[in-house]
This record gives sequence, structure tokens and C-alpha cells, in this order.
Amino acid sequence: MSRAIPSGPGQAANAQARLKAPAIDKMEAKLSKASRALNASPIQEISHLAQRCGAINLAEGFPDFPAPPQVKHAAVAAIAADLNQYRHVQGICDLLAVKMKQNHVLDFDPLTDFVICCGQSEAFAATILATIDQGDEVLIFDPAYETYESCIILAGGIPLELRISQVYVPLDPPYWTLNVDKFMRSFTGRTKAVVLNRSLNEEKIGCIKETNYNSYSPHNPTGKVFSKEELEVIAAACCQMDCLAITDEVYEYITFDTHKHLSIASLPMMKERTIITSSLSKTFSVTGWRIGWACAPTAIASAIRNIHIKITDSAPAPFQEAALAALQSPPEYFSSLKADYVARRDFLIKMLSEVGFQVHNKPQGSVFIFAELPKTCLLCDVSELSPATFPFIDFVKELIEKAGVAAVPGRGFFHGDCNDLTQQSRYVRFAFCKSNDTLSAADQKMRSCVGK
Amino acid sequence: MPRLRRDSPAYLTPPPSPNHEMLSSFCFCRSATRRFSYPSAARMAAVSTASEAKEPQQPPPVLVAKRLDKFKTTIFTQMSMLAVKHGAINLGQGFPNFDGPDFVKEAAIQAIRDGKNQYARGCGVPDLNSAIVDRFHKDTGLHIDPEKEVTVTSGCTEAIAAAMLGLINPGDEVILFAPFYDSYEATLSMADAKIKAITLRPPDFAVSVDELKSAVSKNTRAILINTPHNPTGKMFTRAELEQIASLCIENDVLVFADEVYDKLAFEAEHISIASLPGMYERTVTMNSLGKTFSLTGWKIGWAIAPPHLTWGLRQAHSFLTFSTSTPMQWAASVALRAPDTYYEELKRDYLAKKAILVEGLKAAGFIVYPSSGTYFVMVDHTPFGCENDIDFCEYLIKEVGVVAIPTSVFYLNPEEGKNLVRFTFCKDEETLRAAVERMKERLHKS
Repeated sequence: MSRAIPSGPGQAANAQARLKAPAIDKMEAKLSKASRALNASPIQEISHLAQRCGAINLAEGFPDFPAPPQVKHAAVAAIAADLNQYRHVQGICDLLAVKMKQNHVLDFDPLTDFVICCGQSEAFAATILATIDQGDEVLIFDPAYETYESCIILAGGIPLELRISQVYVPLDPPYWTLNVDKFMRSFTGRTKAVVLNRSLNEEKIGCIKETNYNSYSPHNPTGKVFSKEELEVIAAACCQMDCLAITDEVYEYITFDTHKHLSIASLPMMKERTIITSSLSKTFSVTGWRIGWACAPTAIASAIRNIHIKITDSAPAPFQEAALAALQSPPEYFSSLKADYVARRDFLIKMLSEVGFQVHNKPQGSVFIFAELPKTCLLCDVSELSPATFPFIDFVKELIEKAGVAAVPGRGFFHGDCNDLTQQSRYVRFAFCKSNDTLSAADQKMRSCVGK
Repeated sequence: MPRLRRDSPAYLTPPPSPNHEMLSSFCFCRSATRRFSYPSAARMAAVSTASEAKEPQQPPPVLVAKRLDKFKTTIFTQMSMLAVKHGAINLGQGFPNFDGPDFVKEAAIQAIRDGKNQYARGCGVPDLNSAIVDRFHKDTGLHIDPEKEVTVTSGCTEAIAAAMLGLINPGDEVILFAPFYDSYEATLSMADAKIKAITLRPPDFAVSVDELKSAVSKNTRAILINTPHNPTGKMFTRAELEQIASLCIENDVLVFADEVYDKLAFEAEHISIASLPGMYERTVTMNSLGKTFSLTGWKIGWAIAPPHLTWGLRQAHSFLTFSTSTPMQWAASVALRAPDTYYEELKRDYLAKKAILVEGLKAAGFIVYPSSGTYFVMVDHTPFGCENDIDFCEYLIKEVGVVAIPTSVFYLNPEEGKNLVRFTFCKDEETLRAAVERMKERLHKS
């Protein structure tokens, strides 16, 4: 998977306009070798292929089952009740403050410490714009998906003031554990923030590639949840280095087994320097509603709010109303959400293992499984594949054509100084936020393809 | 009406108002300290907001640079609070107190029920992109590509932010016409642009071509125009647009055209500058659903631009919000295919409202400037003897019980707006009549 950079607007008609348009040559020079070698976006190719073959889509990270009826009903009622003009629904902040207290024993002021945004995407963007200055560095754990800034820097052509540098901190395979040494060595005098990209800025790939397909959600491919010990290390570093922590907690209710979602903000000395972002999207299966929020100490929240007001001004009004209903769902809702996802996860792991994938790392949270290709692939001859021929693409294509199932090549989730291209090319990401019917159908197709 | 925040004795900060025009922005300054040279508390600069009283307990925040330096005061929030306190009729807020048409609301409801609740494609639901293209063709005669030249955003506000952040280099000059919609200046600061403002002056708020010519330099990257214009109600004439166009072509300057009020064009024909010869290739034309369909809270907007400009805009958009609310996009595609009768009726209704307000303002003693489009009217308040627009607006709330917006905040130089205030007529007729009555009875010329 290339680094999400399109081939650029080569079709710029006006030569003069091109001079002032994004510096295309500069941009192309900064493209990775992999992406420059490709004419079209590989993901686009995969998506088109998937559609043509009628493949079952386990690539997209959003549900194909409906949102909870009471939440939809609340949105419908709000539209019918004329709640359609600009509004700020303070009740959302009140409910979030209660949840922060219940879930994390954190006290936030609902009047000042929350900013309701158009999705976690906007909450994150507003946070970055509010806290990160030109020349600052931001640490991001790898594998992850690139944020926009990275695309900008790589692109070299977008004239955004930010010019921040992203420093990728590799997590150690196969369990994606925090490597304390690599982490600590990533800090410099310019490090401003650490991003806990439990699920970072998804879907960027879709828009940036100017595609025609329904976007993917390539984020948090590994399903890793940082352990308490790891969070303590990160927290200690943030305190010692006087950095901010910016978290993305959209999967806060989709954590499995004994892994309870722990927010770094609840660790000692962290509340004052943590910005939590989250949304309704994953918890309530309404990824298209764009209701998210940032939660931070008052003064930081104030700066984020100022930015938000200039970016979109407010989140969609009827869905803010529906958020009130959603956030008042009884505890049973959350426990059955979790149970349902556990069942789906386990089903998919079983399927993948039995057709030959290696699932080293049972996801602890989110809706993805990051599986390694079998040493001897039952679907195709892996030994023929090499980085030069972009095996990840070929394998995924085989999967679509032969097995009728679409997934996302894992290569694109790795960044920075990646020494082991071959190793990284061996991962494929599957989503299990799909209905039982979809998963069963995928299961049948895969098994019949490998004759099991 | 926006839902108001509950009163609370602990309340220190004004609630974030849904209407950008009523809200303000909080002032704050840039962090000037460097890392590791100073202890953490000093490293972060203080924020001067209405929440100052809370500051001492926390380390001062990390701030945005001079990005948001220029900040307008909390004047709107103060006005809003004052309005509530005095039970004033609000002709300040720029959004309707009536709702959108049923056929559009029903389309959104249907989309939700049909399960269209997951991520839409980043640049827009294809059906909506097509509807936008069709509408644009009807309005301008231009044929554009829905996949490559249309980007759906969370309201026109985001289209503007994405255009600025995606296409403006730090240090680029951008020319605005004052008075201007309040988010332009702040968003341009975020993009680190140098702002030059050309003032539009009463009575007709015409563009001074000489001023414009001398403002354009080799560093000018873009000119931002808003037509029909908020707050003056001016509509840029063909002659003015042609002059702007020739300067842009000569100097290789882009145009960002905010056309959200294009369907509220009453006294003149709305002209999109993108339709002038040589202009499409350098213009970003922005619009939204909210004003035309009285659904300002849905946040459906769009930007139309040639591929090379769309590319930069989409980069910014993908960072800012990534995608736009799916069910509302489906409803918007239905809305934009509304027959001409919808638009004719919209205009008729607004013209009737405008007549009530304008006649009432004249009768009350204001100097009323002709408004050709939008649902705003600018008036000169000086017959009533107040020192400036803010004082007048406070007086109007307290003594008369009506809210208007002081326009000085819409100028780079506030002095230029001190005689002027803005009223809106996007309210039901009963509200307008009641407000007019209060003004006729209680306003006294000095």
C-alpha cells in the first residue's frame, strides 16, 4: 500500500495556475518509491476488483448491520421536531461528564471542558490545530495509519502552516508491544505531543486517493490495547518531557476479554495534559453521523472550541439530539455490544486460522484482525512473492478473485525506518464489524476455496 | 431557537453558541517559551477568556500561535445574554426561527431508516455530487465533473476553512471585502495569510476598483468574495465581477467565492464569478444547503473547483472532518433537485418578510441601505444618538427589546462599522411585526 498520495493533479490545465497550485514536482519527488512505481492507487484497484467480483467486504471498518433502533428513532424525532438549525446541545456534555466520572473517575466540567465536533476526525484536527505549532514534533505509534500531516509533509505541496514532524515509534511484533527504549529515544526537544492512536484518523486514504469507492477505514490495524504498564510508561514520559497526550478512544466500548479501556488521562498527573477524543460512531454503529468530541482541561478545550467554530461551527443538529438518547443507553447496551463483537472476533479468528492464516495477536479491542500470511499459503504460492512485485497487492487480489473476500494489505500501516519490508508485507487486515450473515458467507467462501 | 444552556452559579464561561455570528471567540496569546528552558507552567502562556477565574488552578494552556490572535471579543455572547435577560426579540442571529421544507426532512428521515448511517465517501455521496453539478449547470451553464470538481463539506464554513488551509501558503496575501463574515479573518489567520481588506461603503457598498487595483500585488494569492453579501445585502454586479476577474487573470490570483445566499437574490441576478471567461480555472465556488432550505444545523456544504484546486482543498478537508453526514447528504440531493417553484416561493416569502422589516426600520427612523440579496439589512443608527454600534445595540436590547448585530466586528478597522448595525429578516412574520412595533414605539431620535 502506498503512502496515500495520489498521482497528483497532472491534469492542471492552466500552466500559470500550476505554478501557484500545489507544487506537484516537489510532491512527486517525495513520494515513496512504492507509490511512485504505481500508476493507480492499489487500494482503488482492490476495491474495484472486489466490486467486480462481488467479494465480501471485510476491508471496510464500518458495520454492515443497522444502528440501534432507539438511536435512529431519536434522530428521526429530532428532524421531525424541527431541531434543524445551528445548535449546541449542552446535554451531550453533561452526559459525557457523567461517563468520564463513572468510567475513569475523572472530573470534567460539562460547561467548559467538552467540544462537540463533526466526528472524532474534526475533534482530532481541531486539537492538532489548537496545540501544535510549526516545528513541533508528534510521536505516533506504528503500525498506524498516517495522519493528514504526514501526508502533507510527504506531499510537500500542501501549504499548511503546520509543518509538524511525525515521528513514528515502532511497536514490537508479533504482539505490538511498547518498546520502551525506542519510545524514549524518540523524544527530542521539539516533541510536543504523543498520540495514542488506538484508532487513528481513519478513512483518510479514501479521500486522498480521489477514489470512487466507499472509503476504507484503515485504522488501528492491530487491535492492540495498551496495557496499564505501557500507559504508565507513556504517562511518565509525557510528564517528564512535559508533553501532551492526545488520545483517540473511539473504540472505548469495544475492548475484549479482560482488557478494560483505560484512559491515560486517569493516570497520575495526566489529566492536565491529556486531550481525549472520541465519538458516537463505533459505539452506536453510526459512523456517518459525524458526532464526536474532544475532552480536555478547560483552557485547552477553549482553544479547541475556537478552532472548531471556525472549521465547521457546529455538529449536525439532529444527530446531537440523537446523541442524548445514545449516551443514555442502559448498561446492557454496552455489555451486549461487547459480547457481540467478541463473538464476531472469535468466529473470524477461527476461520482465518483454519484456512491457514497466522493470528498471533488476538485483538484486544477495535474491530480488526491483523493476520499474517501462512508460511505456505493455501490460496497462492507465497514463495513467488517478493517486495519488488508488491506481494501484498497480489495476495489480496488472489483473495478477492479466488476466495471472494476483500481485505486490506498490511504493508501500508508501517512507516518510518521500516527495515523489514518482507515481514511487513505479510500482514493483511480483516474487519469483523459485520453481520453474522456476512461473516458466515465469508467463512463459507474461504473454506470452499481451500477445500476445507 | 438554539437551546440555551442551563443557568448555573458555577457558570463562568459563556456557552458556545451554535451560531458563529453570536459567538465569539476568546482571546488568547501565543506561547513564547521554549521547551526545557522553562518550567512547565511558564512554558504555556495564559489565556484571557471569560474563564479567567478558573485559570490559577491549572497550568496555563498550550496555545495556538498567532493563528487565533485576532480575535473578536465576546461581544456577541454578551449581546445574547443581554437579549435573554431583557426578553428581546432576536433579529441578530443569522438563522431562521422557522424550519425547513417537509420534503427534505422526510428524505433525511428515510435515509436514516434505510440504514444510510455509515461513512460516506470523503468527497461526497455520488448522488449529491451529481445533484450539485446539475444545479450548478442550471445556474451557470458550466459543465463540471462530479467526481473531480465537487467536494462536500460540513457546511460552507468547512468549505471555506478547507479552501484556505489547503490552498493558501503562509505569508500569501488574501484580499477581503469589509465588512466580512466573521470567520474569514480567523480562518485566514490559521492559514497564516496576510489579510488586506477593501471596504465597501454605504450607500451602495460598491467596490472601489482603484483601491482593489492598488491592493493586488505579486504576493496576492486569492481574493475572497461573498455574493450576495453578508452583512450588507449587496450583490456584486457584473461590471464589478468583470473587473475583479480581469485583475485576477492578469495577476494570476485565485478567487474564493462564498455564494451561500445565491438563492436569496431579490433585486438583482446572482452571478457566479466562475462563469466569467477565464475564471473557472482559478475559482473555488462554495455554497450550502442551510440558507436555501432553512436547515442551517445540518451542515451540508460544498466546494466546486477545477481539479488542481479541488485536490488541495480535499487534502485539507480529509484532515478537518474527512467525511460529511451521510443521511443529510442523501436528503440534500433530493433538496437540490427541487423544482423551480420551490425557489420562487422561497423568494416570495422572503420578499414579504423583507418588506415588513424595511418599512418598519424606515418608519422607526433608521437610515436604511438597500439590500439586494441575503436576509440581512444594514442600517445607520446614528439618528438615535449613540456613540457607536455596540452602544446602540445594547440600548436597543435594553430599552427597545430588539436585538441587532453591531457591524464593527466585521471590519479589520472597527471604526469603519461604528455607524452601522445589521438586522435579519429570516424570522416568521409575527416576530418581525412585533419587533418593528417595539422599534416604532420606543426608539427616539435624538
